[in-house]
Amino acid sequence: MAAEKAEIDALKKECDGLRTKIEAARKAVNDGSMSAAAGGVASVGRVQLKNRKTLKGHLAKIYSLHWAADSRQMVSASQDGKLLIWDCFTGNKLVAVPLKSAWVMSVAFAPSGNLVASGGLDNMCTVYNIKAASPKTLRELDAHTGYLSCCRFLSDSEILTASGDTTCCLWDLETGKQKTVFTNHIGDCMSLALSPDQNTFISGACDSLAKLWDLREGTCKQTFSGHTSDINAIAFFPNGHAIVTGSDDCSCKMYDLRSDQEVIGYQDSSLNAGVTSLALSNSGRLIFAGYDDFNCHIWDTLKGEKVGVLSGHDNRVSCTGVPEDGMGVCTGSWDSFLKLWN
Amino acid sequence: MSSKAHSSNNIAHARRTVQQLRIEASIERIKVSKASADLMNYCSEHGRNDPLLMGIPASDNPFKDKKPCTIL
Repeated sequence: MAAEKAEIDALKKECDGLRTKIEAARKAVNDGSMSAAAGGVASVGRVQLKNRKTLKGHLAKIYSLHWAADSRQMVSASQDGKLLIWDCFTGNKLVAVPLKSAWVMSVAFAPSGNLVASGGLDNMCTVYNIKAASPKTLRELDAHTGYLSCCRFLSDSEILTASGDTTCCLWDLETGKQKTVFTNHIGDCMSLALSPDQNTFISGACDSLAKLWDLREGTCKQTFSGHTSDINAIAFFPNGHAIVTGSDDCSCKMYDLRSDQEVIGYQDSSLNAGVTSLALSNSGRLIFAGYDDFNCHIWDTLKGEKVGVLSGHDNRVSCTGVPEDGMGVCTGSWDSFLKLWN
Repeated sequence: MSSKAHSSNNIAHARRTVQQLRIEASIERIKVSKASADLMNYCSEHGRNDPLLMGIPASDNPFKDKKPCTIL
């Protein structure tokens, strides 16, 4: 017992030493803030986007949306127990996928456009073939011991999931089995995003931390702290060198991966609502963040200033997405509607 | 759980934490000024191709409802 206690004390001392070392290394490269550096950058002015379409069809709260790679189709998930696939150019519904479990929290489109996946309080990720005559269940990925909060396809044969059981997981869709389990968070994982080069991914969790993972090695490479509550949303800056997070602490933050720290924060004393979702415009200059206050607020990524707002929903904005061609933003809400803006 | 199993769990956990922190401590870091400059450069290089920043002419707007034209 005494030997074990001695070892634990030594390990704890080493932990404290390493934490101090990390903080010192971060401080050593912290030679100025991004907002100061961006002082000379021209302002974007007031960003005023119009609501071009309202997509009506769901009968209950919308929890998640994801654009297809063609920037035209989009899938949405509602706790009315349905996934709807929309043609956003016409506003028409193309496919309706009835869910076994209505408690859906996340939906994803495969890059090929052939498959969609969803999951939620059933703790499973179900993959559907939507190119069949009627949507067919391809796989039920069942191993998480907590709710499915987020899923993203790498291809038609691999999918990443984030779960309330505090882990993320890479699945092989040919076998339906887990390839890699990513363990390190100490709170429910709420959101994940794939890097542009697909070698890494980031996760945000209820432990208020964001983590960068090596997809193939299965290891956590970096941990970012600073938020004081659950991180609900996370995204990569388009060049893959920085990440943006949104939290229940009512703020968003940008962390640079190469300097390993927060470089700018996005908060406003008048904004007292949690951030539910976020997406960046194609150049990375604008952040569209959905809030519990029924709005999607627009931030200037470089200057940290609020530059616009998308108002029109009658309840919390639960999901936000920008298609690959960057031609618009889609917001989904607990009011059961999706709105397209540009 | 016996106290022996409990304490070996604690040790295993502490060892994993140390291993993780060693990974995170070992990375190379660049200066925030360089990181900021790179992000600013990316935005400026890609800004003119960002439809949400530049605006979209009505004729090219895929989401805008096209009003029918009447030939009078």
